[in-house]
Amino acid sequence: MAKAELKSNKKTEIEDSSSLKGTLASVFFLGIFIVVTWVSVYFLFLDRF
Amino acid sequence: MSSQTAKLKVDPRDGKLAMAHFYVAFIALALGGLMGLLQTLVRSGKFELPWGIDYYQILTVHGVLMGLVLTTFFIMGFQYAAVSRTAGTHSPAARRIGWIGFWVMTVGTIMAATMVLLKEASVLYTFYAPLKAHWIFYLGMTFVVVGSWLDGAAQIMTYAKWRKENPGKPSPLLSFMAVINTVLWIVATLGVASTVLFQLLPWSLGLVDTVDVLISRTLFWYFGHPLVYFWLLPAYMCWYAIVPKIIGGKIFSDSLARLSFILFLLFSIPVGFHHQLMEPGIDPAWKFLQVVLTFMVIIPSLMTAFSLFATFERFGRSKGATGLFGWFKVLPWNDARFTVPFIGMASFIPAGAGGIINASNQMNQVVHNTIWVTGHFHLTAATSVVLTFFGISYWLVPHLTGRKLTKAMNKLGIIQGWVWFIGMVFMSGAMHFQGLLGGPRRSAFSTYGDAAQAAEWIPYQIAQAVGGSILFLGIILMIIIFVNLAFFAPKGEEEFPVGEAENLEEKAPMIFENWKLWLGITAALILFAYTIPFIDMIQNAPPGSPGFKTWNSW
Repeated sequence: MAKAELKSNKKTEIEDSSSLKGTLASVFFLGIFIVVTWVSVYFLFLDRF
Repeated sequence: MSSQTAKLKVDPRDGKLAMAHFYVAFIALALGGLMGLLQTLVRSGKFELPWGIDYYQILTVHGVLMGLVLTTFFIMGFQYAAVSRTAGTHSPAARRIGWIGFWVMTVGTIMAATMVLLKEASVLYTFYAPLKAHWIFYLGMTFVVVGSWLDGAAQIMTYAKWRKENPGKPSPLLSFMAVINTVLWIVATLGVASTVLFQLLPWSLGLVDTVDVLISRTLFWYFGHPLVYFWLLPAYMCWYAIVPKIIGGKIFSDSLARLSFILFLLFSIPVGFHHQLMEPGIDPAWKFLQVVLTFMVIIPSLMTAFSLFATFERFGRSKGATGLFGWFKVLPWNDARFTVPFIGMASFIPAGAGGIINASNQMNQVVHNTIWVTGHFHLTAATSVVLTFFGISYWLVPHLTGRKLTKAMNKLGIIQGWVWFIGMVFMSGAMHFQGLLGGPRRSAFSTYGDAAQAAEWIPYQIAQAVGGSILFLGIILMIIIFVNLAFFAPKGEEEFPVGEAENLEEKAPMIFENWKLWLGITAALILFAYTIPFIDMIQNAPPGSPGFKTWNSW
């Protein structure tokens, strides 16, 4: 009986309140922004000099 | 309870000195802002200055008042109050030194300003040789620096007293940060003090005929880069240690905040060559080394970004926010004390990205001496830093004057922040794009003999005038709020928010307070980055230059 209960495997959608996944996404966004602006001006440099 | 309340308040005697600094700072903001508006109007090509007023004169007034006077006075007032609030009331001796510092700085400001108004010192705020100003201008600037040292000494005395009374304990976070910034300032200003005292003053007094331009510029930039961190660190003090309390959250990590401040002390000074990448006379290998050290400063900046995001997300999730960015929505957007510094923080993302471009040797060739650079520091200093200072004023001024930030002023504060943001998007955005098209900085309106390239710049210059006008509206709003909070707001008690760390068990390591160690590494890095280049510059010195006066007298 107990075994059957365990097997039911219901997905519980409880978000961990200590999660920092938004922070991770934000710092990734920040990093990508820095790289993209840097590379665009670098190509401007290659184009001109 | 009452004793606890008393402890949480800055002593009125300390408050008076902090307010004295703020009066000067906001007068500088009003006058400097007006000059900024006039500059953008002149550069639009639609307006000429009346009564023989010169573009470079108002450019000097704007730069000196905004970059040197507003910032130094606000920072010293804020840090003096923050140390008093967190490490305890200043002793009468420290307060006396603080007052002497304030008056020395004020007299210096008046001396320098008078010479600029008399058209004896249109040398811009960097006062590069061989442009030569009247000696009273240089002496005035020296007074501003010496006065700020005295102001800083008052803070260090109170910090030292706290340490003595609390052996083995890490100092209060805000006091620790204020002292790091003061030490950074003292070490940095040694460079500008040297060029002024040993080169520019004797030369402008006529005691020597020529000046070594390369040495003078190198000493200036030894000071000039940490100068921008001296502006930035008080904003970081607010972001790390005050904003968490305002939103009702916690400081993500007290130790991380301290470590990032120490890294700023170590890496923001031996990096001045990245402002001189296009200059002859400095070995490229040493330029490369200082660029590497410059990139080290990115580390504490990214630590700060991570820590702030984490503070916000933790707070949002504690309020039940879910999803990847649900926490963003629950932040207190209707509180000016949070929203205005937040706009400053967000602006630091493009500002920082632009800074990395400036410091990269090849890209510096694209943007050097273009108005891109002006656009860059109007994002860093004139948005991130200044909006945070405005956000601090919204609670600190009423806290010190025994008044309340009313709902109406809070709303006006939020409007002010957004007006500033919109104005800066136009002005700084147009400056960045015009700079990429080669538009020069530090130049009055010109069609350059109707050159096709110069014609491309004009629409951007008009956008800058639009942005400049919106920003001036922002300055008027800020002055209204400041005057209200200082003199007219209803009497009451406004909180001085001081954040608490999330994990109180985690005590900051005492090594962070080991000044011998950090000052030792700071000195070692400076000696490493500058000794050989200086020997080289002196041994292979260029011929000295006589002074130049590129502007007309009255």
